[in-house]
Amino acid sequence: MAEEINKEELKQKIIEYLQKKPWQVRDLAKILRVKKKELDKIVQELINEGKAAYWSSGSTTYITTPEKLKEMEEKRSGV
Amino acid sequence: MPVVDGVELPETPLLDELEKGPWPSFVKEIKRAAVESEKAMKAGKKIKLPGAAKGLLKVLELSYKDKRTHWKHGGIVAVYGYGGGVIGRYCDLEDKIPEVWHFHTMRINMPAGWFYSTKALRAICDAWEKWGSGLTNLHGSTGDIILLGTRTEHLQPMANALAYLDKLYGSPAPFDIGGSGSDLRTPSACMGPALCEFACYDTLEACYQFTIRYQDELHRPMWPYKFKIKCSGCPNDCVASKARSDFAIIGTWKDEIQIDQEAVKEYAKAGVDIEKQVVKKCPTGAISWDGNELKIDNKNCIRCMHCINVLPKALKPGKERGATILIGGKAPFVDGAIIGWVAVPFIPADELIDKCCEILEAIWDWWDENGKFRERVGELIWRVGMSEFLKVIGQKADVRMVYAPRNNPFIFWRELQD
Amino acid sequence: MVAQKVEKEPEEELEPKTDFGPPHYSIMLHPIIKNNYGKWKYHEVVRPGVIKRVAESGDVLYVVRFGSPRLLSVYTIRDICDIADKYSDGYLRFTSRNNVEFFLTDPDKIEPLIQEVQEKLGFPCGGTWDATKGEYGLTNIVHTQGWVHCHTPATDASGIVKAVMDELYDYFTDHKLPALCRISLACCANMCGAVHASDIAMVGVHRKVPKIDDDAVRRTCEIPSTVAACPTGALKPDMKRKTVILDKDKCMYCGNCYTMCPGMPIFDPENDGVAILVAGKLSDARYPPQLSKVVVPWLPNNPPRWPEVVQTVKKILETWATHAEKYERIAEWIHRIGWERFFELTGLEFTEKLIEDYHRTPYLYTTFRTSAAFRW
Repeated sequence: MAEEINKEELKQKIIEYLQKKPWQVRDLAKILRVKKKELDKIVQELINEGKAAYWSSGSTTYITTPEKLKEMEEKRSGV
Repeated sequence: MPVVDGVELPETPLLDELEKGPWPSFVKEIKRAAVESEKAMKAGKKIKLPGAAKGLLKVLELSYKDKRTHWKHGGIVAVYGYGGGVIGRYCDLEDKIPEVWHFHTMRINMPAGWFYSTKALRAICDAWEKWGSGLTNLHGSTGDIILLGTRTEHLQPMANALAYLDKLYGSPAPFDIGGSGSDLRTPSACMGPALCEFACYDTLEACYQFTIRYQDELHRPMWPYKFKIKCSGCPNDCVASKARSDFAIIGTWKDEIQIDQEAVKEYAKAGVDIEKQVVKKCPTGAISWDGNELKIDNKNCIRCMHCINVLPKALKPGKERGATILIGGKAPFVDGAIIGWVAVPFIPADELIDKCCEILEAIWDWWDENGKFRERVGELIWRVGMSEFLKVIGQKADVRMVYAPRNNPFIFWRELQD
Repeated sequence: MVAQKVEKEPEEELEPKTDFGPPHYSIMLHPIIKNNYGKWKYHEVVRPGVIKRVAESGDVLYVVRFGSPRLLSVYTIRDICDIADKYSDGYLRFTSRNNVEFFLTDPDKIEPLIQEVQEKLGFPCGGTWDATKGEYGLTNIVHTQGWVHCHTPATDASGIVKAVMDELYDYFTDHKLPALCRISLACCANMCGAVHASDIAMVGVHRKVPKIDDDAVRRTCEIPSTVAACPTGALKPDMKRKTVILDKDKCMYCGNCYTMCPGMPIFDPENDGVAILVAGKLSDARYPPQLSKVVVPWLPNNPPRWPEVVQTVKKILETWATHAEKYERIAEWIHRIGWERFFELTGLEFTEKLIEDYHRTPYLYTTFRTSAAFRW
């Protein structure tokens, strides 16, 4: 399945999901029907390209977009 | 307002109560940072976060008055290339105490065994005085150097200061960021062979090797939850690996305890009551003493360390050394507190690091594939069973993995089903 | 007006570097330690806080231990470094329980070092034990952040630790106890300082479910990830009202939802407090590792010095120290005398809150060997 999807298309799809809410890669992998290990690599590429970002609860970690991260941090840092 | 060395400090009547008494006071530390950083700034030093320690005093005094925290969690991990090592923190008194509105923590990977040269420590201090609050914890619960409190925009410069700590601040080596979130947390080790004659394997080298080999796992959190590795040189377990790590490597031995009979006699002469302090305290009754010779029934010895602890000059662990691996240790959430249990009874010391890496990688692959969100590896094993786990790590069942066989006959004969 | 050029710091211009790891420990070792690495012969305790380590080569190193408050300013760390430069050839070590250790080759320098540390830093020398004599000191309390820096604490950490150690100070500086006693504190049950196997543990406990502020939830939170953060499935989304609903019976007050969503704070000044646990241990010596057991379900938060907590800890420690035999840690002492006698001697009240009713820990776990102690 993974081979059939064009990588760029997949990246675009991932970003669309990330724009909705912060995700765990394992949940995205199930929805996109991609092996988690492969998705880990693609998500890491997106992070390196500045298109995705980590958000951490301290104990667990999520993936989101840099814009969403900024929005979340602004919301929660406010009074 | 109280003034110390020309620096005004906030009124903190409640915290002041914790400056009293003989034990060293953390309140004095915060006040000291408040005073000295302001003095340093007046003297022309670069301080990027002026008033941070003073701000912390104000927040903490309010917490003492209100009996509640004034911190909120932030999720930012804004260091280039990394997904962990920074704990985002915001104060809910932004308008009243803007100095600590952002007050993020940085976790810095300590040297194995917490050994330092003063050059390295001073360099960290110089960098943190400039880019942060000047307050630290030596050390955090997992073992990292904790740098307490800085603003988002200073995170990357501070990470760079540490990455170039040798060139910029004269440290003998640079320092890297530690773990947080769903990743490999910073591995830690007891002082091991550096100072202790009980060490049954090289805890410091093992800890260093795991840390270096698994930089990607440490810095890029991709797992269901956290994973901790701790290296203890003997069953005394000075780094509490059995309770505090998913993967505890506990030094032990397989052959006979080494005895120096002359040294035993010297202890007896010096007033040690061998019968009462050693023989009677042996949990399996494996020791006898006739006033002349100490005998150990090694077939019955469980290597608990008590006799060796009492008579360190006379008794030593055997020569066939290695480690036992305990799996699953963790704090209570969600399925309850766990002390790890035996997963591999013995790995010889000379094969230990490579064998551990082989097992760790197998565990991570399996756990990452099968673990639920927020499920530690010990809880996953409870859910699917030890027999599944033993297949993953390529181990045969061994009676040493349990205190006793199962209590009930409801055995799953999966291999017989069509 | 000429626009002023903002000068950048070198740290702001350098390329980020990643994945190089911590310094190799070997460059952090005192030369005597480096030369005798893996070749130590034996140790003996010179006095509380001072351990003499003798190598096979005949080299001798005196390791001198001091208690620290864990929270240290860079200014105090520099003072520690000055002392290490003067006495310890520029090397030092921290222990897993927040003590700092210096390395001396000349025994005549031990007393001057202890005096100088006491004068300049106020750190007490101690935290050790002499297993040969069966005389034990109390070591430092490991603890978490509390109100200093945590967002879900049910109590402070550093303040209680300071108050308890003030009261137990003489046990740290002397060897007056019958066995090891590890005291630990975690400011909530998440236990980032995993204290669940300590001789005496103080654990911050929340007793009321998070307060959902619907407005703040709408303003600051992301509902699906907040719901998913609940480990017991107690949260449900309320899509219509764009907030969350909480099933109070399933909540175990962990505060994970508050981590995800600042709109549902868990703290509660009057109901938060401290539980006391005892009889955990981790060393395999004599008696197998044990999880700590709750003996006081709740004591109030009474800052700045938490007298109820301090007195309870002191009472437990001193009752044990008075009645235990040599080498008997709290778990072993209770194993001998029974829990009936423990509650009688300490005067603590046994209530229904101390009977286990948390079902999730599986029964199978009771047969797993939580120890490296076994026969070959």
